[in-house]
Amino acid sequence: MSKVVEISPTTRHEGHSKMVLKVNDAGIIETGNWCSITPVRGVEKLAVGKTPEQVPKIASRVCGICPIAHTLAATEAMEASIKCEIPKDALMLRHILQLANRCHSIALHDILILPDLYLPGTETKINPFTAEEPVRTVAKRIQRLREISQTIGQISGGEAIHPSNTRVGGMYRNCSEQAKTKMYDLAKEGLVLAKAQMDLMIAILRNYQARESVDVGGMKVPLPKTLGYHNQGYLATHAFYGSSSLDECPSWDINRFKEVRPWDWYMGEMEVSLEEPRYPIGGTTKMGTKVNPQMEACTGIPMYDGQPVEVGPRARLAVYKGYDEKGTVGQNIAREMEYTDCFYEMIDCIDALNPSGKVVADYIPDGDGTLGWASNEAPRGTDVHLARVKDWKVQYYSMLVPTTWNFATCSAALTGAPWQLAEVIMRGYDPCVSCATHMIVIDEDNRLVAQKLIQ
Amino acid sequence: MGAELGKYKSCVSARSTDKELLKHAQDGGIVSSLFAFALDEGIIDGAIVAANKEFYAKYPSKCIQDNSNLDVIEPWRPIPAIVTTKAELIAAAGTKYNLSPNIALLKEATRSFGLDKIGIVGTPCQMQAVRKASLYPFGFRDVNVPLAVGIFCMENFPYQSILQLVEDHAAMKLESVKKMEIGKGKFWVYGKRGQVVQLPLKVTHKYEQPGCHVCLDYVANMADISTGSVGSPDGWSTIFVRSKIGDSVWAKAMAAGCFETQPIEKVKPGLELVTKLANEKITKNKATLDARATFGVGKALRNPYL
Repeated sequence: MSKVVEISPTTRHEGHSKMVLKVNDAGIIETGNWCSITPVRGVEKLAVGKTPEQVPKIASRVCGICPIAHTLAATEAMEASIKCEIPKDALMLRHILQLANRCHSIALHDILILPDLYLPGTETKINPFTAEEPVRTVAKRIQRLREISQTIGQISGGEAIHPSNTRVGGMYRNCSEQAKTKMYDLAKEGLVLAKAQMDLMIAILRNYQARESVDVGGMKVPLPKTLGYHNQGYLATHAFYGSSSLDECPSWDINRFKEVRPWDWYMGEMEVSLEEPRYPIGGTTKMGTKVNPQMEACTGIPMYDGQPVEVGPRARLAVYKGYDEKGTVGQNIAREMEYTDCFYEMIDCIDALNPSGKVVADYIPDGDGTLGWASNEAPRGTDVHLARVKDWKVQYYSMLVPTTWNFATCSAALTGAPWQLAEVIMRGYDPCVSCATHMIVIDEDNRLVAQKLIQ
Repeated sequence: MGAELGKYKSCVSARSTDKELLKHAQDGGIVSSLFAFALDEGIIDGAIVAANKEFYAKYPSKCIQDNSNLDVIEPWRPIPAIVTTKAELIAAAGTKYNLSPNIALLKEATRSFGLDKIGIVGTPCQMQAVRKASLYPFGFRDVNVPLAVGIFCMENFPYQSILQLVEDHAAMKLESVKKMEIGKGKFWVYGKRGQVVQLPLKVTHKYEQPGCHVCLDYVANMADISTGSVGSPDGWSTIFVRSKIGDSVWAKAMAAGCFETQPIEKVKPGLELVTKLANEKITKNKATLDARATFGVGKALRNPYL
């Protein structure tokens, strides 16, 4: 007989979400629903009628973790719509900015997942905030990596969070020769630290993977070898940066994309029938509570070729570098493997940057209402923005953000895992829920249906 | 009163020993020499100063301008700039008697200019802003200012006022002005062809920026080192060394022979005049503050010092 357990809210990730899990008598998940319960932002509605300069600035405010990806994707969606090509040095600055964002985000994610993991050779779970060694050294390294990445982001983009330097048509200003040298030095320092951090995290993750069982709130939970496995596909548009409809060979196809309503996907109204007060941070939801993921979820379910897909570091590595490890551990390892790659790529970009080069396009068209899209490989996956600009006014704007793609995929990956480990699987996706929450949901017939959610 | 000169460790009359700098300086070349020394010693790796159109034409990458069309930038319009060499310092030297938004560059200096240690020069209110900005969590926390040089300031003028004073009252084109100066109770305008016009300060008062009339700081109390011509003979500047940092930079600069000094007690008109003018400013502006306390409907204007 299946029981229903609810973990609400989920912790150690950005935003507000919950999990409703149908489990069997052994506590193994039969159907898992992970859904966003962050209130909708309405950015896409706000954007209509604004100028293309304003919208990326507004869009970046959807969240503070990857505002850079949103700014870049939104700016480039505008450029794709008005068909504006930007100078090479502006593109280099954007590349550096985007990689800096990914590097500081990976460091932050390490802090978030470490409490799930064990110090190798011990039964001690890692508290990243303890003053004791060896954890303190690791925490300091993580802080330094974040500092380095944010400083590089500040120099190339004007601000580490909500970059001010990007504009439709390029960047507001290039950096000085001195600033270029500073970025280079920092990236070199970051590379050494990232290598050490990657090695450590992979060792810790492999140690976790080899365990028979783990402890969750005093409960001994068997650790399946297939933790987080799913059979959905992968979507990535570039190994590092992104793609846009202006590209000669775009790596994303708008015709293969479709979004469905949450009530066609999630479970309907149920009552919580399993309660576990020992579950960390206050236990699970009380017995008898009514839950209704269909109506509570605040996201659409995006499909690519009719199926939810996984986006993120593993998708990038799988699509572009032949990486084939499945499951939660494989996903976290893929993220760590991206770390040094990012710094290498960043160093190449800084090398290629000419500080006296032009960074604004000579001619910025007003737009003729063509639909343009741009994708940006945010730390947690493919972030696609779509825009239609006519006479320097935005007519249509939509954001398809990484975690929206991952909600349904992660829900599928929950099946077969002990329910106590559901959050561990979810954290593998490094979710960033705020931006994933949407107002506009279009059904199969392209009708606007989100109003139903709001009623 | 007694507190009108702020806290300071030492006070001297000084001028730069660098003849090249003195040629371009307003008075004693103090700000330029201090920054040149600090740049050489690595105390700062760049300084924010008030430059002008000519500087911008020569070093466009050192300023941030919305419009790069030189034809629309007015003569004597101050343009904040980031200087990293002595040649740039010389190009930007000299006082511009109107508002230069130097603080606007403070954050950008650490961003696209890539500076770690920033020197800044400004009026007393700008020194207050620098100190506040580094205390408040505005995103200025990573802005490191190891040397803030303040300049004495009775009041400032908007650009339009300078235009009016020079072109209407002094009957000179701004383009043909070589130097402006306030001293001996007069506003002096020196033309490139040698003409000199003096306006009584009574004429200039109505052109002052009204916001300056609530300021109770004449000698840049919040700076590391503050300087101005008042109190020293022509070609010399009066210097207050205020903070520990200022003291150490000043001592090093003196040891390196950057400045020649005279005891302030020995020079004419000396500290007496500085004190007198500081008191004048404070008394006058306190009256404005008092008047504001009874101004407005239902709610008086706030006294920024309370």
